[in-house]
Amino acid sequence: MIVAERKPFEEIKAMIEGCKKVLVVGCGECVSVCMAGGEKEVQILASQLRLAFEEEGKELEAGETTLERQCDKEYLEEIKDKIDDYDAVISMACGAGVQFLAEMYDSKYVYPALNTQFIGVAEREGEWSERCRACSDCVLAETGGICPIAVCAKGLLNGPCGGTNDGKCELSKEKDCAWTLIYNRLNKLGKLDNIREIFPAKKYSVQTTPGRRIHEAFKEKE
Amino acid sequence: MWVDYTKGLLEESGIAPDRLKMFNLSSSMAPKFKEAVDEMTEVAKKLGPTKIVSKAA
Repeated sequence: MIVAERKPFEEIKAMIEGCKKVLVVGCGECVSVCMAGGEKEVQILASQLRLAFEEEGKELEAGETTLERQCDKEYLEEIKDKIDDYDAVISMACGAGVQFLAEMYDSKYVYPALNTQFIGVAEREGEWSERCRACSDCVLAETGGICPIAVCAKGLLNGPCGGTNDGKCELSKEKDCAWTLIYNRLNKLGKLDNIREIFPAKKYSVQTTPGRRIHEAFKEKE
Repeated sequence: MWVDYTKGLLEESGIAPDRLKMFNLSSSMAPKFKEAVDEMTEVAKKLGPTKIVSKAA
């Protein structure tokens, strides 16, 4: 999932300074699971904004809604009848959702309430870790299912480096050495020979920016 | 954990976090319940009113 965290409250509050009516829009997908921008977080942020503005003697009407997701137009359309009632929108989606919402309603200022962090997994309740950098050239088949790009602090394709120490990274004793993890996993799988393979420099040519993918079934036939 | 988190939310919003406290009580602990209410009443009196006006009528 895409992992994000809420921006500091003061930053969000400063963004909407001067607005009288804002619509706080949550997303029911990844950011809901990582407790950053789902229905509950929308209620919390809208309530905080109302309290803070009222405490300062300012007027603010904060509407609340949470969409199935903000990265699909069919769900963004659900707010088309109410968005004109507001001065601005606060999106609690990831960066992609914020941009899609802003693109669809381009006459309305859309503010981001979250900082999008990484593609990751839930280690345990309330804790997530990065597992994928979306590099468009997956090497997990050779590395026993552990990504050296995302997990190694240096993103080394041919590790470990000289900084590995008892399975930990030289940057932090809290951080596992990705290449030690890879070695141990390959050893367990009986595929240790994989580590002898020298990876050539990564194919950065496939990392087009902005990325775009069209499903084979939807490609126009020549 | 969640009580401390919620106190933080209140503080960010300009509301004194001391206005919130959690008491673990069972339904048979009436004297303890009264003590808790008295304690929070004193806290509210000490802090004074907020500028928040309830719109629920």
